[in-house]
Amino acid sequence: MKRNKATNRALKRPKLSGDAGGGRFGYFVTRAVMNIRQNMLVNTLTVGTITLGLLILSLFLLVYVNVEGLAENWSEKVQVTVYFESEPDPVTLRNLTSQVEALSGTANAKFVSKVEALNRFRERLKGQEALLDGLAPDILPASLEIRLKKGHRESAAVDAYVSRLKKIPGVAEVQYGEEWVRRFSTFMSFMRVTGLVLGAFLVLAVVLIVSNTIKLTIYARQDELEIMALVGGTKWFIKIPFLIEGIIQGSAGALLAELVLFGVYFAFLHNAGNFLSFNPADAGLSFLPLEWLAGLLAGGMLLGLLGSLTSLKRFVRI
Amino acid sequence: MIRLNNVYMSYGGNVAALHDVSLHIAKGDFVYVTGASGAGKTTLMRLFYLAHAPSRGQILIDGQNITRFKPAQIPYLRRDFGVVFQDFKLLPNRTVLENVGITLEVLGWNKKDIARRVNHVLKQMGLEHKVNSTPQRLSGGEQQRIALARALVNEPKILLADEPTGNLDEATANQVMSVLKEANIRGTTVVVATHDRHLLDKHPRRVIMVDKGRISEGGDEA
Repeated sequence: MKRNKATNRALKRPKLSGDAGGGRFGYFVTRAVMNIRQNMLVNTLTVGTITLGLLILSLFLLVYVNVEGLAENWSEKVQVTVYFESEPDPVTLRNLTSQVEALSGTANAKFVSKVEALNRFRERLKGQEALLDGLAPDILPASLEIRLKKGHRESAAVDAYVSRLKKIPGVAEVQYGEEWVRRFSTFMSFMRVTGLVLGAFLVLAVVLIVSNTIKLTIYARQDELEIMALVGGTKWFIKIPFLIEGIIQGSAGALLAELVLFGVYFAFLHNAGNFLSFNPADAGLSFLPLEWLAGLLAGGMLLGLLGSLTSLKRFVRI
Repeated sequence: MIRLNNVYMSYGGNVAALHDVSLHIAKGDFVYVTGASGAGKTTLMRLFYLAHAPSRGQILIDGQNITRFKPAQIPYLRRDFGVVFQDFKLLPNRTVLENVGITLEVLGWNKKDIARRVNHVLKQMGLEHKVNSTPQRLSGGEQQRIALARALVNEPKILLADEPTGNLDEATANQVMSVLKEANIRGTTVVVATHDRHLLDKHPRRVIMVDKGRISEGGDEA
């Protein structure tokens, strides 16, 4: 290049159209990394704020995921039982069972004979079996115990299932613990609505805090934006390094939040037994699923990107 | 090079910052814009590179009516200008090399060429040994010369300097003036805004006088 030799004549300029084109991505990333290094304090504060915000949000998600997992376990107790006046013959039973199994919502159906029912009862009364002495072995009715699939365990769904079940010839008496199912459904709806409202508030708070922090950091660098515009930087030439900086800050914040979350989860799992009446390691507490973690990372990146983009709109007016 | 025809400018409200301003500055000219504080010198200079848009009137730069420019065209207009401020506007956390090189970065120059060119310009200013310093470590005069280097590094067609010697002692002010004169000799049109009569007497050139937003003297070439 002979540009540096040009002293008494106008310098040869590169073609203008290529100035801020896609071919300069390497430059933009380098510029963004250099900006981070040159504004370490401000960047550390921003990443810290994003980390804290996303940590609170992810802690909430962790609790939510586990409470829902727990509720899901409870819902397995939802069971529909068909009672028979007299024990059906094997052909009738096979016919009936296959019809029940064909119903949508059935997870499995298990026949319990009169003898088996009495044996179970005897087992429950362990130590006081004498109470059953003298009773005829056919005192308890035979039954078909039906477990329902996930998604069919709430009040309205169970009601609908039972009315379809009752249409099957041979099914007369059906019981399913209506009261328990109703309460369980109410609890699940309450939990979901509360989770949604709280989650929405948390997301809103995190978005506001993070975008305002980014706005302040960009405000602090107004001079830089002004000079870039003064020396002829195009809108995107000025903005892109800041946007990359935002994405880097967002992903660093999200990764740190996930790391701290894992630390908290791990510490709780192994130490909570000391001050809780149960050992959480045995209770099957789970960490956030991988796709949620990926979502959190994407959320962090988006937060950094959009926070920078909206702030820059105010300060770069070309 | 610069022509204004009946330009009005206001910052909102009824008070006009500039009122029916017409002037012509020829290519290769060296001109002072002078007047009391608040007379409209800075506003006038800022119009040349569209830091503001005029409320009315026509501004021609190198024959182009820039008042009709779309926002996307403005950066390319500004690449023909070098601008120097009284408060230097240097980036405190960047080195002298980066501060001066920013003009060339925008033009898409690569790192190596930027370093070479910046070194060359700094040598002309006698500041080549400061290339890796940050502005806080430099004196006022040095900072002003760095700001000048940033404005001149791509050899702009027009150099605008707003009170370039305002905060400097006489010796440093002379240094700055000689840099401006050298740039002018190399073909750059130079416009200096100042209210310093002493500077005008010591380095006499054409003077455009601004008074309460109007050109009171020297709007047309002598």
